[in-house]
Amino acid sequence: MSDMAKSIVFAVLMCAVLGVLLTGAATALQPLQQKNVENDRRKNILLAVDMVSRDQRYTHEEISALYEEKIERFGATQTGEIVSGDRIDADPVLPIYLYIENDEINAYIVPIDTPGVWGEISGYLAIDADGSTVRGFTITRHSETPGLGGEIERQWFQENFEGKRIVDRQGTFVSVRVARGDVERQVDEEDRPHYVDGISGATLTGQKLTEGLEQILYRYEPVSIRFRDNRAELPDDR
Amino acid sequence: MKLTRTKTFKTFAGPAWTNNPINVQMLGICSALAVTIQLNTALVMTLAMTFVITMASLIVSVMRKIIPGNIRIIVELAVIASLVVLTDEFLRAYYYEMSRMLSIFVGLIITNCIILGRTEGFAMSNTPHLAVMDGLGNAAGYGSVLLSVAFIRELFGSGKIFGYDVIPQSFYDAGYENMGIMLLAPAAFIIIGLMAWLQKYLAGVEDEG
Repeated sequence: MSDMAKSIVFAVLMCAVLGVLLTGAATALQPLQQKNVENDRRKNILLAVDMVSRDQRYTHEEISALYEEKIERFGATQTGEIVSGDRIDADPVLPIYLYIENDEINAYIVPIDTPGVWGEISGYLAIDADGSTVRGFTITRHSETPGLGGEIERQWFQENFEGKRIVDRQGTFVSVRVARGDVERQVDEEDRPHYVDGISGATLTGQKLTEGLEQILYRYEPVSIRFRDNRAELPDDR
Repeated sequence: MKLTRTKTFKTFAGPAWTNNPINVQMLGICSALAVTIQLNTALVMTLAMTFVITMASLIVSVMRKIIPGNIRIIVELAVIASLVVLTDEFLRAYYYEMSRMLSIFVGLIITNCIILGRTEGFAMSNTPHLAVMDGLGNAAGYGSVLLSVAFIRELFGSGKIFGYDVIPQSFYDAGYENMGIMLLAPAAFIIIGLMAWLQKYLAGVEDEG
C-alpha cells in the first residue's frame, strides 16, 4: 500500500473512532446537561426577582421547589392583557413570567434576547409591580469577549440595574441605559435613575445592550402601562 | 539505583521543575492569565489539563509506530481536540457552574502549545511509559505555576483562599484594602514574570542567549 493510501485509511478510521466516541459521550451526557441548563434558567429568573442570593449555593430541588411555587409563565397581548393557557402560544403574544405571592403579582419578568457584539445576549429583567422600577437583571448566556464585554456576567454589573427606573418623572418611557463609564461622572443628576455603570473597554457591548433593552421594553410597554395604572390582573382561568 | 537517577523520574521532574513549561519555556501563558483569579478555577483547569496531556501523550505514544508521518500533526490535534471536547462535555454535565466560570478556556486547551509540543516532541518518539511520565511532569509544572499564581491573586485580590475569607475583618477595619490589580490580567503577567525570575535563579537555568 502506498504512503498516501495508508494515510487516507488511517485518517478515515481515526475519524470514525473519534466520531463514534464523541457522539456517544455527547448523547449520553445530554440529559444531564439539559437539566443543568434548565435549572440555571430557573435560578436566573429567581435571581432577577431577588428570591435567591448570588452568594449562596442551591440544590436543583431547592430551585425547582421555589420556582414552581412562586413563578408562573404567562403571555402578554399587544393591549397589555395577561393571558394563560393556549393563548400564550398565539402569535402576537409575548412571553412573560410573573412572580406571584399570595395570589398577587409581586413582579413581572421579561425575557431578554438581543444581539450583542459577537452573538446573542440572553437574560431576564424583572420589574416591580409598579411597572417602572427594575427589580433585578440577570444574564444567562452571551458570547462577548472575555475580560471586556464578557464582564456583563459579573455580579456588580447585573446588580447595577436594581432600583433603576424605566420611566422618567413625567411617566414617559425611557428604558434603562448603559452609561459609558461611571454614571456619576458621565450622566446628569436627573437622568441617573435611568443609567447603569458601563464597562470600560466594552462600549459596543453597552450600546448593543442599551438598544436591545429599549426595543424589548418598548414592546412590553402595554403591559407595563397596565401595571403603572394598577390595572394588571391575573387571568381568570389560571 | 536511586529513584532520582532513573530515567522515569528525570522525565517527570524535568518539565515539572528545571524545564517548567510556563516559567522556563514561556508556554501556556494565555490560560495562566485567564483562570488564575481564583484557586477553584485554577485547580479545575489543572485537572483538565493533566487529563488531556497525559491521555494525549499515552494515546499518541501507543500509536506512534502506525501514525503516518505526513499527517501526524493532524492526528495529534484530533486526539487532543477529542479529549478536550470530552472534558468539556463532562464538566457541563457534572460541574455546570465551574464550566460556566471557565467558559471558553476549557475549549482553548486544544490550542495550548504545551500539549501539542509534548505529543509531537516527546510522545511520538518515546515509549508509552515515558510519555505518560512526561505528560504528568508537564501537567505538574503547569499546575504548580497556575496554583501559585492563583493563590497570590486570590489572597491579595479578594482576601480569600478557595473562596473562604482568610483576611480577618480587623485588618480591613484598620485600613487594609484588597489589591484591585490582582483581579486583572496584568497582575498575572507580573507574578509570572517574578516567578520565572525566581525559578531560573533557584533552578540554575542559564539562558543560551
